[in-house]
Amino acid sequence: MISFRNRLLGGCAAALIALGFAAGGAYAADVTQERLLNADQEAGNWILHHKDFSAHRYATLDQINASTVKNLKVAWTVQLGGIEGGGIWSHGGLEGTPLAEDGFLYVTDGWGSVYKIDTHGGEGKLVWKMDPKTDHDWAGAIACCGVDNRGVALWGDMVISHTLDGRLVATDKESGKVLWQRQIANPDKGEVVTGAPLVVKGMAITGVAGAEYGIRGWIAATDLKTHAEVWRTYTIPAKGEPGSETWKDDHNAAANGGGSTWVTGSYDPSTNTIVWGVGNPGPDWDSAYRPGDNLYTDSSLAVDADTGRIKWHFQHTPNDPYDYDSVAENVLADVNGPHGAMKIALEADRNGIGYAVDRNTGKFIWATPFVKKLTWTKGVNPETGKPMEYDASKGQQIYNPEATPTRTNKVTIICPGNMGGKNWPPTAYNPKLQTWYIPVIESCNKVTVEETVPGKSYKSREFFTGGGPSNPIKITGSVTAIDAATGKITGKLETPFPMLGGLLATPDLVFAGQPDGHVMALDAKTLAKLWDFNTGGGVSAPPMTFSVDGKQYIALLVGQGGAWDKWFIDGTPELKKIAPSSTLYVFGL
Amino acid sequence: MRRDGNTRGPSLLVRGLFVLAALLAVTAGIARAQPPAPSPADLELGKKLYRTNCAGCHKWHGNGGGGYGGDALSLRHTTLDREQIITTIGCGRPSTGMPYHLRDAYEGDEKKCYGLGPSDLSPGMVLAANAFLRPSEIGIIADYVLARVKGRGEPGYDDCLEFFGTGSRVCNIFKSPVEGGPAAAPPGK
Ligand code: HEC
Repeated sequence: MISFRNRLLGGCAAALIALGFAAGGAYAADVTQERLLNADQEAGNWILHHKDFSAHRYATLDQINASTVKNLKVAWTVQLGGIEGGGIWSHGGLEGTPLAEDGFLYVTDGWGSVYKIDTHGGEGKLVWKMDPKTDHDWAGAIACCGVDNRGVALWGDMVISHTLDGRLVATDKESGKVLWQRQIANPDKGEVVTGAPLVVKGMAITGVAGAEYGIRGWIAATDLKTHAEVWRTYTIPAKGEPGSETWKDDHNAAANGGGSTWVTGSYDPSTNTIVWGVGNPGPDWDSAYRPGDNLYTDSSLAVDADTGRIKWHFQHTPNDPYDYDSVAENVLADVNGPHGAMKIALEADRNGIGYAVDRNTGKFIWATPFVKKLTWTKGVNPETGKPMEYDASKGQQIYNPEATPTRTNKVTIICPGNMGGKNWPPTAYNPKLQTWYIPVIESCNKVTVEETVPGKSYKSREFFTGGGPSNPIKITGSVTAIDAATGKITGKLETPFPMLGGLLATPDLVFAGQPDGHVMALDAKTLAKLWDFNTGGGVSAPPMTFSVDGKQYIALLVGQGGAWDKWFIDGTPELKKIAPSSTLYVFGL
Repeated sequence: MRRDGNTRGPSLLVRGLFVLAALLAVTAGIARAQPPAPSPADLELGKKLYRTNCAGCHKWHGNGGGGYGGDALSLRHTTLDREQIITTIGCGRPSTGMPYHLRDAYEGDEKKCYGLGPSDLSPGMVLAANAFLRPSEIGIIADYVLARVKGRGEPGYDDCLEFFGTGSRVCNIFKSPVEGGPAAAPPGK
């Protein structure tokens, strides 16, 4: 299962390392497909973005548990960089999930610098920093939603990362030297990259952002040996391809149709299928510009890992007039319940509804609204999984008319607000309890529609949104627990601020960070708060856990990132006090 | 950034009133006497100040624009003169997303901005800038806007290079427009 790096190791050293391994010590092993397939079983490591290919973000480590967590305290911190602004942004922020391998952490800052940190001996020591020299102005001017980078992937003896200006970078794990890089997205077209790569079978899978700038979205696979592109699947079909009939306009709206893919997806090895979320159509709010269902926007998309061929899709909000994208990760779970044994894909959509579909076919199973207030639809049709008001014969969908922004209903309050009931911050899934935890934004906001004019409104590298949001209504949050077998809500802990950082599950705990700086541990069954610590900076990154020297730690990046403080701050005026920062926090018992 | 109740900016009438108020402010003596033409060094400083304080909303080219959260007006198309621009920067525009950049704009009894004092303001009516500016800095920014932004046509390659220099690929788009994009905009001026 573990192939050693024979390039560096002679037989003697290899024997020593093998001994160390047998004794449970640290070992330097290449990351292989075999290891990634079993990433959930490397208890003290965290070698995939979402911990495992199923995107559970569940770790079995349990030194920190419901009875010991009260003793959790800061073990050490490391100050990082990347706080400087660029383009339309006054500062960068941290949204990354650290990876951990054999006591070394790999973290990124918003501009894509990668830091390798040695955590042995009870403190964090910087081993190297790889600065990709991201073109701040080129990328920062067209990053709709902040200067962000959500982390790295590991493969062989390389650290694989993205930059906001659209590059895939391979760095030598040992030395921190850049081995090679490839321009994969084109900021001239409004494309940037913020998500962490997913490595499957020696290919790095990249998603793109830019639906607010009129891009045509895609997912691309790069062979990490040859550095060549293996496939690129567009999320907006070309003329004549299946799905193109869902763009019914006469001015080629599909060319700027959006469908970004900026959140790392999941992978089901049993069917060799990558499941990846697709973002909103563009222009965001002027749905009359693009009559039709606008596939594959707002969909979960299943593609063959070897070819990128689309196997199935499930669309949540056809002809979306809200900016309710579906970029969220799909959590792959095997559940047992009233419907028998099921292999499902779970997705907590920005439209405020959590969905379970059959992950082999995309067939709808259940849907549950997970926000307190949802006004845009009466609910989901239990047969089709489509919103009740959906009418396949119509080009432009009018869901609840009062809460549907249109050219005649120009100013509208929608709930959830356009930032969604759940944005990119990842959910976590406890397979023992069959419980799925969602980091919720409890919100309404106001959308104003601006008519998009064919041939006139689109300008490269300028917003192409058909209107805009404002935030006159107070926004809060919650951690909401759902029984994955039935779709029933089993708990909701309300939080004073929206959940902008994402979750971590361990056998009997759930960890979460808040944009006001608080980090907390909740009881996995009751969601009772068992521990709370104020980091003193805004948290917009997910917690993770790892072990080194036989001891479990919780790690979390602290440094207000994303779009919140530019576009949504009026909904949380208290957060105006939070200053930008850039720190890695590590907690231990 | 959009403000409550005024997502598209104020009505023309309201906007007109503030422009009028800005004019009145001139006669009321807030405005300084016409200074000599700005030096190249001043324009460089103005660009730097513009870049950190204004470009986030008005963009590097000054056209601002609707979109995700922005509805900043075009400074290329503005009809405001130097004193009006100075007033707008210092005092912002109440009930819109244009923030005030003078620290004491709405403090004390002076009512130096549109005749509004602390007790005249409803919550959220005026928006404080992320960082305040000194009056001399505001003048330098206004000079920059007048010399390099106001009255120019669609932004082009020359304007872009003038703003960013050659270190970034940000201006490429004006040289070789991408497929699906619009035709290259004519060079500035
Ligand atoms: C937070 C976003 C924001 C920032 C920062 C900002 N502006 Fe504005 N600005 C606006 C908005 C929005 C308007 C439109 C107000 C309205 O609707 O009347 C505006 C309007 C203006 C106007 C009036 C234009 C006209 O023709 O009426 C001027 C001049 C101006 N801004 C200059 C500046 C300068 C110079 C700076 C930097 C010192 C700056 N602004 C910073 C958002 C901003």
